[in-house]
Amino acid sequence: MAYEAVKVKKPLTLILLPIISVLTFFLVWELIVEFDVVPKTMLAAPTQVGDRFIDKLSDPNPDGGTMAAHAWVSAQEAFLGYLLSLGIGLPLGLFMGWFSVVRGVARPLFELVRPIPPIAWIPLTIFWFGIGLWGKVFIIFLGGVVPCVINSFVGVRMTNPTLIQMSRTCGASDWQIFTHLCVPSALPMVFGALQIALACCWTNLVGAELLAADQGLGYMITMGRRLALPELVVLGMVSVGLAGALIGMVIETVERRLLSGIRR
Amino acid sequence: MDSAAINPEDRPTKIDVKSLTKRFGDLLVLNDISFNVAQGEFLAIVGPTGCGKTTFLNCLSKLMPTSAGDIFVDGEVADPKKHNISFVFQEPTCLPWRTVRRNVAYGMEIKRYPKEKINQRVDYMLDLVGLTDTQDLYPNQVSASMVQRITVARAFAMDPDLLLMDEPYGQLDIKLRYYLEDELIKLWQTLKSTVIFVTHNIEEAVYVAERVLVLSNKPTKIKAEVKVDLPRPRKLIDPEFVALRKQVTDLIQWW
Ligand SMILES: Nc1ncnc2c1ncn2[C@@H]1O[C@H](COP(=O)(O)OP(=O)(O)OP(=O)(O)O)[C@@H](O)[C@H]1O
Ligand SMILES: [Mg+2]
Repeated sequence: MAYEAVKVKKPLTLILLPIISVLTFFLVWELIVEFDVVPKTMLAAPTQVGDRFIDKLSDPNPDGGTMAAHAWVSAQEAFLGYLLSLGIGLPLGLFMGWFSVVRGVARPLFELVRPIPPIAWIPLTIFWFGIGLWGKVFIIFLGGVVPCVINSFVGVRMTNPTLIQMSRTCGASDWQIFTHLCVPSALPMVFGALQIALACCWTNLVGAELLAADQGLGYMITMGRRLALPELVVLGMVSVGLAGALIGMVIETVERRLLSGIRR
Repeated sequence: MDSAAINPEDRPTKIDVKSLTKRFGDLLVLNDISFNVAQGEFLAIVGPTGCGKTTFLNCLSKLMPTSAGDIFVDGEVADPKKHNISFVFQEPTCLPWRTVRRNVAYGMEIKRYPKEKINQRVDYMLDLVGLTDTQDLYPNQVSASMVQRITVARAFAMDPDLLLMDEPYGQLDIKLRYYLEDELIKLWQTLKSTVIFVTHNIEEAVYVAERVLVLSNKPTKIKAEVKVDLPRPRKLIDPEFVALRKQVTDLIQWW
């Protein structure tokens, strides 16, 4: 009675459609700029952005850093902030879900802080950390920690109560139920949090860099505006988008591997 | 081939239920219930729907506090941390993130049995219930009947002092049920566990048990006790079987 995964064959049209839609998008974009439907001072054509990209690979001008330098700074900030939000948010949410003492202490504080948009913390952050790395890490952390807490909390709360009863009859302690039952059954939600938190972190990264930075992809966008170089702005936006999508894909792959048993 | 060579009355008492009473607010559900279960006995409990069978098992397993009365295992107040009380629930309770094998091992891991003992025991149980070939699959990859066999195997694997079963086969079709009931009897005969089996299916109760307790409507008391002293394997068309089944049916209908 061996189990075999059912393989669904994708029809050719389903494979072609996304490619066609993306190509059309870029083509229309190029034409719009080419024929001055939108003035060149307001939008750059994809080819210009491409040229600028090749330029920026080696040339730190006009904004003071090569592509790699900006990307590296942003990646560092995002990565640290993201890790910090996972490291604090996930355990906090999981504990809040199962242990009523933790819930009682942390929930009201969390609900109080949660509605404040991370960007609103920027002034205070500049007082505390200046415009260096850690200030932005802090903003990014604030953005990412909220979905981490909420998702892992909800994941634990959704643990099947009959499974908890079953474990109790086996003589399981609260801690055993937490580790053997609540945490694994919260995993799908936790993986959801990895994705959502990443999106939040990345968004807040750009926000933080727009206002307080001297390097990074967000800073590149700001400089593009100041120097009136639309292709630099678009290049910054595209890089942020692509990098975000790439990390998202990596997380999804890892998730699918780890959850193969739970997902059908 | 009756494994219980000695009469239940002559075996030592394993479980002693004394004046078990349960109220939900004003609603008196279990009304001063007392009975004994002998070591290695297979006891079935039947009763009308909603009479409090699940509540009764929840109290026995200490999932719920009782309003009065208590349950004793070997003369001591029952305690899930000390005694092995296994529960097979009405609904399947496999952990979806554990393979079949690790599901069977779950109870023993909670009890912190040594690894070797767990492995040995799991191998033995998987063999008994015929899940050896599927041991590395996840519960969502096996059929519904296998899922219930996993939980039954897990319950027996803990070598329970008391095994509680709450209509474990209620959701399965008849043919499968007969098959699993036979398997359950085989497990019980091999492992000599003490079993309390709750069902609202009278035929099932008379088929599997050595003794049947008939519960009344709420407030629930034990209305009658019927000994089933038929040889195994039992035949559903055996006149004696039919007579016993009818006796229990009549008892339930008298309210
Ligand atoms: N937590 C609870 N709070 C209040 N009343 C409850 C609770 N649990 C059960 N009851 C009541 O106790 C009675 C017995 O319920 P129980 O689930 O034990 O019946 P049952 O015999 O198992 O029924 P079934 O045959 O449908 O499984 C019902 O009338 C129910 O309404
Ligand atoms: Mg019930």
